[in-house]
Amino acid sequence: MADRAEFLQKVRHRTQRGRYKPTNAPDVAWTPKDEPRHSPQVEDPPARFLEELEALGGHGVRVASVDEARDHVLSVVRERGANLLVRWDVEELEALGVDEPLGRAGVGVAVWRDLEDFREVAGKADVGLSTAAWAVAETGTLVLEGGPGMGRSVTLLPPTYVAVVRVDQILRTVPEAIEKYSGGPLPANVCFHTGPSRSGDIEMSLFVGMHGPGDVHVILVG
Amino acid sequence: MRVALFVPCYVDLVNPEVGVSVVRVLRKLGVEVVYPQGQTCCGQPAFNSGFFDEARSVGRHFMDVFEGEEWDHVVCPSGSCATMVSHYYPFIYENLPDERDRAEELAPRVREFSDFLVNVLGVTDFGAKLEGRAVFHTGCHQRRELGVLEEPQELLKNVENLELLDWRNEELCCGFGGTFSVKMPDVSVAMADEKIKALVESGADTLISCDSSCLMHLKGRLARKGRDTRVLHLAQVLDGNGG
Amino acid sequence: METKKPANRRETEDRRPEGLTSPVEGFNDRARRAVRDEELHDSVELFTNKSVAGRNAVLNALPEAPELRERAYRIKQETMANLDRHLGQMADAVEGRGGNVFFAETGEDVVRYIGDLARRRGAKVITKSKSMATEEIELNRRLEEDYADLDLEIVETDLGEWIAQLAGDTPSHIVGPILHMNRRRITEVLSETAGERLPPDVEALGSFARRRLREKFLAADIGITGANFGVAQTGTIATVTNEGNGRLVTSVPPVHVVVMGIEKLVPRFEDLSVFVRLLARSGTGQKLTVYTNFVTGPRAPGELDGAEEFHLILMDNGRSELLGTPFEEALYCIRCGACLNVCPVYRQTGGHAYGSTYSGPIGAVITPLLKGGKEAKDLPHASSLCGACWEACPVGIPLHDLLLKLRNKQVQEGITGRAQGLAFKGFENTMKNPALYRISGKAGRLAQRPLAKAGAPKTLPGPLGAWTNSRDLPKLAPKPFSQLWKEGI
Repeated sequence: MADRAEFLQKVRHRTQRGRYKPTNAPDVAWTPKDEPRHSPQVEDPPARFLEELEALGGHGVRVASVDEARDHVLSVVRERGANLLVRWDVEELEALGVDEPLGRAGVGVAVWRDLEDFREVAGKADVGLSTAAWAVAETGTLVLEGGPGMGRSVTLLPPTYVAVVRVDQILRTVPEAIEKYSGGPLPANVCFHTGPSRSGDIEMSLFVGMHGPGDVHVILVG
Repeated sequence: MRVALFVPCYVDLVNPEVGVSVVRVLRKLGVEVVYPQGQTCCGQPAFNSGFFDEARSVGRHFMDVFEGEEWDHVVCPSGSCATMVSHYYPFIYENLPDERDRAEELAPRVREFSDFLVNVLGVTDFGAKLEGRAVFHTGCHQRRELGVLEEPQELLKNVENLELLDWRNEELCCGFGGTFSVKMPDVSVAMADEKIKALVESGADTLISCDSSCLMHLKGRLARKGRDTRVLHLAQVLDGNGG
Repeated sequence: METKKPANRRETEDRRPEGLTSPVEGFNDRARRAVRDEELHDSVELFTNKSVAGRNAVLNALPEAPELRERAYRIKQETMANLDRHLGQMADAVEGRGGNVFFAETGEDVVRYIGDLARRRGAKVITKSKSMATEEIELNRRLEEDYADLDLEIVETDLGEWIAQLAGDTPSHIVGPILHMNRRRITEVLSETAGERLPPDVEALGSFARRRLREKFLAADIGITGANFGVAQTGTIATVTNEGNGRLVTSVPPVHVVVMGIEKLVPRFEDLSVFVRLLARSGTGQKLTVYTNFVTGPRAPGELDGAEEFHLILMDNGRSELLGTPFEEALYCIRCGACLNVCPVYRQTGGHAYGSTYSGPIGAVITPLLKGGKEAKDLPHASSLCGACWEACPVGIPLHDLLLKLRNKQVQEGITGRAQGLAFKGFENTMKNPALYRISGKAGRLAQRPLAKAGAPKTLPGPLGAWTNSRDLPKLAPKPFSQLWKEGI
C-alpha cells in the first residue's frame, strides 16, 4: 500500500525512464488521406432529433404549445393505465400543469421533493416525467442534469419515461453538448440518455427496457 | 526500366514456377529483369518468432544483396516478404542508425508484384485469358501494411473469361502466419477451414493470391480435404500459365 | 477427411474462473478444445459477425472517424507522458467535490479498501455495474472470502455478467460477456435461479432478470462501478451502459465506489467528445451508448438521490510498469472489444481459451505484461499477426507490433526454449550464407525423394507433424528458381 505522494512519485519516475518514443501509430485505413472531413451539418435539428429517437425505438412528437404538451403527457399516462407519476420539481413542469388533471383522473403525482423514501416512490411509479438541459439532434439524446428537485431515479426507475424539451434546447451534435460542460464545474450528475434501455446479451437479440425505461417519450415544444 | 527480382525462399524452393511467370510478365512489358545472386530470405520467420537479432543478421545480408544503383526497383511476388523489407526493416533497426538509414533508403524501392505493375508501370490489362470462376485472397500484409488492395483486382478484371467472385469475410486471415501455422496448428487449420467454407459457398473453382505462402497453406488444407480447387499466384494468371 | 466431434460442452475445468492473479498457461490446449466445439463456434460467429457489421456501418457513416482516431491516440499519448500530474489533478478535483480518493498499488489494496468500507457502512448488498478492472482482480470472490464474516451479497447487474455470475462462469468478451452461451444454456441458468421453468425466449428471460435485479438495485447499500473514462480536470467519472445499470448503481445506493485503472484518464472533459463517439461505434455499432453517464463527486446538497459517499480508487496493479517502455501503447486501450471481434484467432477460439480476464489481441498483449515473466507465455503467439486488430482499434494501438515485441522480449528473457533458439541460429547461418542455403535446399529435395517413392505419406513425425496432421505438405520443386534462372528463362 502506498500513499499518494509515493504512488505518484513512482508513476512519474516510470513515465520518464525510457524516453520511449511510441511507434508511428495510427495508420492504415483510418489514416486521413487528404483534407480533414466532417459530417454534414444537421439541417433541421428538431426533425432530426425525432427521426433518431424513433430509430432507437423511442417516441417523439413536436407540439406548438405548452397546452398541447400537457395533453400529450396526459394521453401517454392514460394509455399506459398508470397509477402513479413521479416528476421533477422544476418550474417548467409546474407550468405544464399536469398534476391537477391527473389528480382528477385518479392518478397519483409524486413531486421530487421531501420524499421520505425516494426508492419506494420512484420504484413504484409507472411514469417518470422530467425536462432536460439539452437535446442532441444527431443522436436523439437527452442531456439530463442532476440537482435538487431533479432526481436521477425519476428518469430511470419507472417503466415509462416522458421528457418535455423546448426546441431551442436542441443542439446539433454530441461535441456541442459536451462543449457545454467543458469550461466550468459540472453538476454531480450529467447523463446523456439516448433512447430506451436495452440489452443484447442474450444471443444478440434486442431486449428493450432492461433496467431503465423501455418506453421513452420526448415532447418537443415550440 | 531495370528491376531486381527478389524471389522469396519458399517460392524459390517450392513454387519456382511463380518466379518464372513473374519474369515472363515483366519481360513482356519491356522490363529488364536482373536476378541478384546470393539472395536467400528476408528473415521474416525469425522476426515473427521474436528472434530479432537473427532477423537483423539475415536482413543485413539481404540489404547487401539488394542495395545498389544498378536497378530502379526490387520486385517481389509476395506482399508479405515485401512488407518485411519495406515496413519491418526500419522497425528492427530502429536503434541502429546505420542500418536504419540503409533500410529506409531501400524500403520504398521494394515493391510487391501487382503494386509494381499498376502503380509503377501503369499497366492493368495484359490481354491474359483464363477460363474459370475465381476468388482473390489478399494477404494480410498486402492488405494492411502495404494497402495494395485495388491493384490485383484491377489486373484480374481484365483477364478474359475469368469471373471474379465476392466471398464472405474476405478480409480474414488464411491462418498461415508463418510459424503460427505449426505453433498453433489447431487454430491455424480452423482459420483455413473458415476460408475454405467461404470459398466453397462462393462457387469458385480457382483461388488466386499475390502471396504464395497463403496459397501454400490453403492448398495444403484443400488437398487434405480432397478438394481440387485450382490455386494460382496472380503472376501465373497473367502469364497465361494457369494450367 | 476428419470429422468434427459432436458438440459437447467444455469440461468444467475449462471454465475455471481465472483472473489476472491466477497462473495462465496453455492457450494451445484450451484452443484445441475450443475449435472443436461447434456450439461455441456458432455463438462466437454470430456475435462477431454482427458486431463487425454494425461497427463498419456506423464508422463508415462518420467521415471524421480517421481524425478522431488520430486525436484519440495523441490524447492518450499526452496523458501517459504526464500521468502523475493528471492523477494528482484528478485526485484534487474529486476531493474538491467532497469525494474520497485512494491510491491502490495492487488488487489486494482495492479489496481491503472496499471490505473495510463495507464493514464501516454495515453493508449487506453490493450492486456492481460491469467492470473489467474488478474482474481483473477477482474482487467478488476475494471480498466474499476475505470478508466472509460480513456475509455480503455482491450482485453483478449487467444482464450478461449476472448470468455469468449465476452460472459460476467468467466473461468471455469485454463487451459481450456471455456471448459463449446460447439461449438454451441461459434458460437453464435463469430457470434454476427462478426456481421454475422459464420459457426460452428473450422477453421472458429479460423480464425475469429485470424483476429480480430491480430488487437488488433498490436494496443496495453500496454501488461499485468501473470507469470508462476519468476526467483529470474535473474529477468526472464516465461510465457507459445500454441497460442503464451503470446509472442505477451510481444513483440509488448511498455509497458509490469507482475502481478505475490509472490508464483510464483523459486530461479534459472535452476529450470525451472524441472517446465516447469512438467507443460506442467501435464497441457496439451505436452512435452513442444509451446511458453515457458522468458522475462528479457525491450528490449535491438538496439532492435526494445519487450517492452521499463517493470513493474513487485509482488502481495500478502493474500498469505503471508499462509507462515509458515500448509497451506503453497497450495502456491506450479503451476496452471497446473491436479487436476481439475482428481477430481471426478469437473468432475460432472464443475468449475463455485465453484463460484470462482480457481476451483477444489486447488480452494477448496485456495479460503477459501485467502478469510478467513466464506467465501467459503462450498468449503472444496466439496470433497470425494479420493486423486486423490494429486496423480495428479506435485508438490506433499497433497491437500486432506489440505482440512481436513481446515475442522478442521472451527471447531476450530466455523464456523461449533452447531448441527454438538453436533452430533460429541455424536459420540465420543458412540464410546469411547463400552456398549453405542452396545445399540445404538440395538436401531437402533428396530427403523427400524416398518419402515420395513410399507413396506420399500423409503425416510426418516430429515438428513437421504439426503441419501434416491436417494439411498436405508442400513438395519441394525438382529445381529451385535459382537454377531455372541459370538455365535460362
